[in-house]
Amino acid sequence: MTDQTAIAVRNLSVAYGPHTVVQDVTFEVAPGTVYALLGRNGAGKSSIIRSLLGQRRASRGEVRLLGLDPWTRRAELMARVGVVPEVPDFPPELSARRIASFFAGLYPCWDAAGFGQRLRRFGVPDGRPTGRLSRGQRAQLSLSLALSHAPELLVLDDPTLGLDAVARRELFDELIGELADRGTTVFVTTHDLAGIEGIADRVGMLHGGRLIVDEEVESLKARHRRRTGLRAVPVAVGESVQPREEAERAAHDEAEVMTLEEIFVELADDGKEAAR
Amino acid sequence: MPTTPLRIDPRDPAPIWRQIEEGIRRLVATGGLEPGLAVPSVRELARGLRVNPNTVAKAYQRLADAGVLKVKRGEGTFVTDAPPSMTDGQRSQVLTAAADRLAVEAHTVNASRREAHEALDRAFDQLETGREAR
Repeated sequence: MTDQTAIAVRNLSVAYGPHTVVQDVTFEVAPGTVYALLGRNGAGKSSIIRSLLGQRRASRGEVRLLGLDPWTRRAELMARVGVVPEVPDFPPELSARRIASFFAGLYPCWDAAGFGQRLRRFGVPDGRPTGRLSRGQRAQLSLSLALSHAPELLVLDDPTLGLDAVARRELFDELIGELADRGTTVFVTTHDLAGIEGIADRVGMLHGGRLIVDEEVESLKARHRRRTGLRAVPVAVGESVQPREEAERAAHDEAEVMTLEEIFVELADDGKEAAR
Repeated sequence: MPTTPLRIDPRDPAPIWRQIEEGIRRLVATGGLEPGLAVPSVRELARGLRVNPNTVAKAYQRLADAGVLKVKRGEGTFVTDAPPSMTDGQRSQVLTAAADRLAVEAHTVNASRREAHEALDRAFDQLETGREAR
């Protein structure tokens, strides 16, 4: 593992008692890139996030964030890492303004002006108790807090869960702005495959605790198209007597390009078959 | 600054950076983006298309390398005033490569040489109509 990787996970296994929920997972996230970890509910995404954030100790294997072990260097790392949890747990009686003043005391490079601008862009009222904000507004507040201490790495755990289309879009827009302005490394788990499709550089897909895909989005899509093309050979060739190579090429050319979502569904089905 | 009639299609076999690159080339060719005009910043276009800014930056870099766009430091990115200057050899290379793609596609769909020629003529007509319409 080199210092150049923002996240390095090697042979990670996580177990809860006798239940192993993450098995021998290895991947790296390069600085300045966006890595999307996909997987169905219960696939092990949250356990990996907890290991990354030093909240859960690895049963086996190694985890490094910015070159450091999150289990032993958690406090130091959390100053350099922005986190958007699946469900933000703000004290419901506190306003965004009060929470921000608390954050300002925690983080030496807290950007109060930037925080205010983000809240205004989102239209989140900063004086209202967070318990009275909508779910979307709480997610937006959470992202604003995570970005306003200029993190080197941003970890988002299903940030658009339960949000409506407008709130989802605003959240991704803010994320894109951050990528353009600061080139922050992003690690995100999500079910919003259409939303992340154009943003992720690389995706991992978890199935039953194992990482069954770890690949650049561009090559995943190219490879997957070819695969469906070859599968379609008998149909594409029909009764013609084309030489096999030519038939395969024709099938490839006719093969449909799949969206990330379709690839995910197909691989999840394959995973189920393999597990049988 | 013009609103960008660029579209990203997740079902397009071309990677996103190439879709952006070709979209801008097309806009320049049809006069949708006039010489000297500023193109959106990487940040703006990335937000508009909802793609990673690095993807837009890659397309812009390739367009700048090809002489279609020009980056003026501190001012922004612009469509170049003059068509990219190329040697005759370079022009010939670009044309040959594009013609090769057309020939391969035509062959793949079992089209005749004549059909391919006609398709090329129609494409030229469309480009010219697009320019006149502006």
